[in-house]
Amino acid sequence: MSFLYYKDVIEEEDLVMAFISRNDIKPMIVKSGETLNTRYGVFPHDLMIGARYGEQIASAKGYGFIHLLQPTPELWTLSLPHRTQIVYTFDSSYVVQRLRVLPGSRVIEAGTGSGSFSHAFARTIHSNGRLFSYEFHKPRYEEAKGEFECHKLPNITLTHRDVCTDGFKVDGVNVDGDAVFLDLPAPWEAIEHLDEVVAKDRRVSICCFSPCIEQVVKTIEALTAKNWNGIEMVEVSGRKWEAHREMVRDVDEAVARLKDIKKRAVAGLERKRKLNQTSDEFENEDIDIQTTEENDISHKEPAGKGETDLKPKSDQNTKDRGYNPFGKGMRIREGDPAYNWINVTRSEPEVKSHTSYLTFAYRNQ
Amino acid sequence: MPGCNIIEEGKHVLVRLPSEAVKVVLLKGDSCISLGKFGTFSVSGVLGYKFGQSFEILENKLVKPVCSLIDDSKPLLLEDSNTFSENNQNLINTGSLVQKLSTQDIEELKKQGKGQDIINQIIAGHDSFGKKTQYSQEKYLKRKQEKFLRRFTIDYLGASEMLQYYRLKDPQRVLDMSNESLGLILSYANIRPGGNYILVDETGGVLLYAMLERMENEGSILVAHENEHPNLIALNYSNYSPELLEKMVSNLNWLQFLEADTQRPQWNNYPQEKIDRLTPPRRSHYLRKKRAADRVNNILDTVEQGNFDGLIYASTLYPPTLIPRILDTLGGSRPVVIYSPFKEILSETFHVLQKDYRILAPSIYETRVRQYQTIIGRIHPLMTTKGGGGYVLHATRVIPKEGGVTAVGRGIKSKRLKLDDPKVETRQPLE
Repeated sequence: MSFLYYKDVIEEEDLVMAFISRNDIKPMIVKSGETLNTRYGVFPHDLMIGARYGEQIASAKGYGFIHLLQPTPELWTLSLPHRTQIVYTFDSSYVVQRLRVLPGSRVIEAGTGSGSFSHAFARTIHSNGRLFSYEFHKPRYEEAKGEFECHKLPNITLTHRDVCTDGFKVDGVNVDGDAVFLDLPAPWEAIEHLDEVVAKDRRVSICCFSPCIEQVVKTIEALTAKNWNGIEMVEVSGRKWEAHREMVRDVDEAVARLKDIKKRAVAGLERKRKLNQTSDEFENEDIDIQTTEENDISHKEPAGKGETDLKPKSDQNTKDRGYNPFGKGMRIREGDPAYNWINVTRSEPEVKSHTSYLTFAYRNQ
Repeated sequence: MPGCNIIEEGKHVLVRLPSEAVKVVLLKGDSCISLGKFGTFSVSGVLGYKFGQSFEILENKLVKPVCSLIDDSKPLLLEDSNTFSENNQNLINTGSLVQKLSTQDIEELKKQGKGQDIINQIIAGHDSFGKKTQYSQEKYLKRKQEKFLRRFTIDYLGASEMLQYYRLKDPQRVLDMSNESLGLILSYANIRPGGNYILVDETGGVLLYAMLERMENEGSILVAHENEHPNLIALNYSNYSPELLEKMVSNLNWLQFLEADTQRPQWNNYPQEKIDRLTPPRRSHYLRKKRAADRVNNILDTVEQGNFDGLIYASTLYPPTLIPRILDTLGGSRPVVIYSPFKEILSETFHVLQKDYRILAPSIYETRVRQYQTIIGRIHPLMTTKGGGGYVLHATRVIPKEGGVTAVGRGIKSKRLKLDDPKVETRQPLE
């Protein structure tokens, strides 16, 4: 399996994405004799060779597991080593669609950065397209070059170059680009160099990706000066939602529970009074006793008194709490069939509320 | 892309008007196309140009190429500081009295043709134009250009354009899917040449068209549907040949799909001598029937074989009832991508999939594009935009370990004691 072709069984030297958890996906080249160490156990690569993509495998000890996934640009985006700020799937998927990037497209990308978007471009333009990617930072260029080779992406031509000063021409190749993506600090300096490398016989589209509005202003001015038209600027806001269940708590039941508490308080009072009478103690401590009783029901019980600690935990749920329609003080699993639930969604605790402004334009000359 | 570079005869194309309306038209060689108040042009005048070219309508249905739909290449107004105000202090709303030209006058002008002339005369006839600020003048001018400029752009009718056309016309027909949601679906479904996908498409074929664009004649799509025939009307406007569609797209209804054992056409070949003896009409009837039976049997064979490269689902059939029943036809580590205009539907689906060991890490995504006004000095988001756009659920089909496996996490010690019990938890706790 690779970023370009499907495959069913894992072989030696294959790139596999080990799905350890949602926030921990490890790309690795499978090599006989090596092992993957995770906090869920140790996984010898020999267990992976011959396994099917998608398979769940147990650790060497027999418990704890991971899933072995095929690499995709989207998984790579989640797992890659960050060298720069990267373009995420919400933005990249829209740019690819908007620029009409298709199999066979000739795409210009500057700079390469961490190579996140390069993988998405390479997948879509496929074997008969070509991605011309430029990176001016030497160590980043070297790392990206190694990655593209290791990931078997022969449709990428990577060049070490500052396009703002030296342009986009590649020796011995007619770039003939029909889609341009500029993720540079100063895209307006690169725009003037595009004339010599973009296609002449068909429409060319461009997207400039900049986080600041001041950059957008300069970009629009440069695009207008160079006869790009149909200028549009947008922002993509993406959100990931988690589905959860929220308990449906009926007010009538809350009232019924209050009644029950009151009834139990009165009963407790009775008991205490009888107790007091028999032990010949004072009689008028109503108020004090009442508040203590109420505290007992709503706050103290769940924490458990000395004796419950000695018993196994499960007893926590069987202890008599009187009428307890919402399972107060008990550990209730979300979706427990003994209760009523409503399906809800919640967005992630932290949202990427701004990535960059996307300035699109077209040219027909 | 061959075929999507040059405007050619016989193709369906998208026409964009200055009012931001879009039309789908067929370019028939010797015909004329009417754009309502924007005028009429003859098709021969636009052929041979590159897609994306804008035109202005001249007299006699002729056109001349222009650089853009709205004339923003030159400064909109004279740089004479006496012709605008610093603010709108002196601008008093006198309603229609402000314009010296009557509706009739304007209608007259429109008959005479040139859009720019009309706009110039309207401005000349506008009493308080000079009392507007420069910004407000530009805005006014742009509005008049949208109304009177007899310009249009011809765009290639790709899947995005088709989606835009339907969404403006009747959002329900494409399940209110936005272009950004479409892009997200295609990326998460990992659509590429050579894939074999199952598709459930209630967007009238727009989604199918978008997938075909990204597959470039390689691979296959099995369209599963709930009627006698699938509704793929959008393909009629695509520029794919029937032969190519025949090669790449097949379809099956849910009865055939889910109850393949009883729904297989029973077919007995006649011996050759019997076929030879048939009358020509009966023979062709026999052959047609045979082809139809073979077709369904072949498709059912591929379903039985399974190992599809992705499931793409955009349907109003309730996904929790359906997705689990077809998951086994997917290969390992292949995506399941479900689109719905409603987050609630996906949330229900999420809960069902989360319990299914054949599914890994379902997530619901929402993507919205916010467009900005791009006039320098006054950049801000547009004041109104289209609502809706839909939601996308993505998950991965995986192959659970036979007999289950104990997760590491809370209670691992007590679970380890019960290792003999194959029904122990096979999920790691979510982070």
